[in-house]
Parts: sequence; C-alpha cells; structure tokens
Amino acid sequence: MANPPRIWLSSETPAAGEIVRVRAQVVHIMESGLRLDAAGNAIPRDTLERFSATLGDDVILDWFPETAISQNPYIEFTFKARESGVLKMIWSDQNGVLAEAERAITLS
Amino acid sequence: MISCVDMNRRQVMVAGAALVAAPLLPDAAQAQETTAAARKDSAESDRIAAEFIAGATPLREGLSLDLPALGDNPSAVPVRVWVSEEITDQNWCEELIILAELNPMPLACRFSFSQASGAADVAVRLRLIETMHVRALARMNDGRVLDASGQITVAAGGCGL
Repeated sequence: MANPPRIWLSSETPAAGEIVRVRAQVVHIMESGLRLDAAGNAIPRDTLERFSATLGDDVILDWFPETAISQNPYIEFTFKARESGVLKMIWSDQNGVLAEAERAITLS
Repeated sequence: MISCVDMNRRQVMVAGAALVAAPLLPDAAQAQETTAAARKDSAESDRIAAEFIAGATPLREGLSLDLPALGDNPSAVPVRVWVSEEITDQNWCEELIILAELNPMPLACRFSFSQASGAADVAVRLRLIETMHVRALARMNDGRVLDASGQITVAAGGCGL
C-alpha cells in the first residue's frame, strides 16, 4: 500500500487491566460532496465510512465519520487490556476496505 | 524635490501591490465554489440530539469535552470526548455522537463501544464552518444520556468544507 496507516500505541505489552491508548491516521481525501468543480458541478461525496477496532473476538470501537471529519482522518481511542491478542484495525469507505493494520498486544 | 520622489515611490508601491493582488483574486473566487453554508441556528443539530436522547433526561455531568478556545485551523480542529465517570463491566458507554451545531451536516461522527472496550475516550479532528458550539452526547448501558458542550471561535475562511 502506498500510504499505510500511521499507528502509535502507548504500550504493546500492557499490564492486565491497563488502559492502552491508540492513535491512528489514514490517508483519505474526505470529499464532502459540497464542493463544486471548475464547471460548477458538485464533486461527489467520498468520505471514510467506518473505522473498526477489534481485540481478538471483541469489538473495541466502531467509528462512523461524516463530512465534518478532517481530511486524512485521525482517530485516538483507548481500551482496557484484559487479555493478550491481536488488535486489528480496519478503515473502509464506499469502495470497500481502504486499509487494514494489526498490532500484537501481549500482557506483561 | 524629495516629496516628488516620495510620490513616485508611492505610486510604484500602489501599482506593485495591485500586480501582486490581481493573481490572488481568481483563487479567492475558487474557494467560494461550494454549496456549503453555515446553518442559521442549531435546529437540525437539536433534532439529531433529540433522536439520540430518545426521551431520556440528558445529564450535564460524567462526560467531558476538550476543545480549543480558538480554532486557528478550521479544517482540523482537535476535539477529545471522554466519559469521566468510571467505566466498569456494570457501567459502560454504548454509543457516543459529536455534533458541530452550525455545520451544513451537524452530525460529525458516531462511535459505538462495547462492554469489552473498558473505556470511552476518543479524539478526532473536525472541520468547522464558523464559530459555534460543539456538543457531545453519550448513552450509557443503563439508558442514561450524558451531555457536554463547548464553544469554539473559528478563524474566518479556509474551512474547506
């Protein structure tokens, strides 16, 4: 992928019950559908529709951005580390899955 | 003699300024080519909020919203929202929305959490069309709705909506 998502985790080896903070950003134009092109026609909307984060089988977060979210959407969230597993993040827009990323979380 | 030179210098300056300004005008016009306009009031935002609240009484506590006083870059205003009461397996946040009250589309985004999340603390960057209130609403698993809002002054122009 030309522009992989940028991801930062406060810890990949948290203690049990520790709150882990995640920051992630993906490249996306977030065209609002409100702008006009040179000929005066509306540029079709093209926004990120969904971001989801799962740890193992558990859904941690689902995020549904609308037009007010900035270009190259940035998301920061936290979760409680209860068990080791793979933190999986998926970004999708109208064309399907835009980007995927995984980070192993191992309880220390 | 000196004043005459001054006059010439001024004329040159004015002419020069006009030359510099002229190429900027088409760009300024281009930035206006959008159907986006700020809403006159928060009616649409209030309608979305009422739908989310669904008859509950919103509580003005337990939810925190962190917003800069001045949005010097209106196309990326950092906003953080978090449930400040303790999240446990018995008490957790199910859903959270952020409303930019005067934006053409006030619903900025929606979040859903689960019991497994163990937290409800998110931050995003918003595009805001003008000075307004940003409001956040969170629904807890016991049906309570938490409400928080803050005002932000947005620097003119460059919204990019």
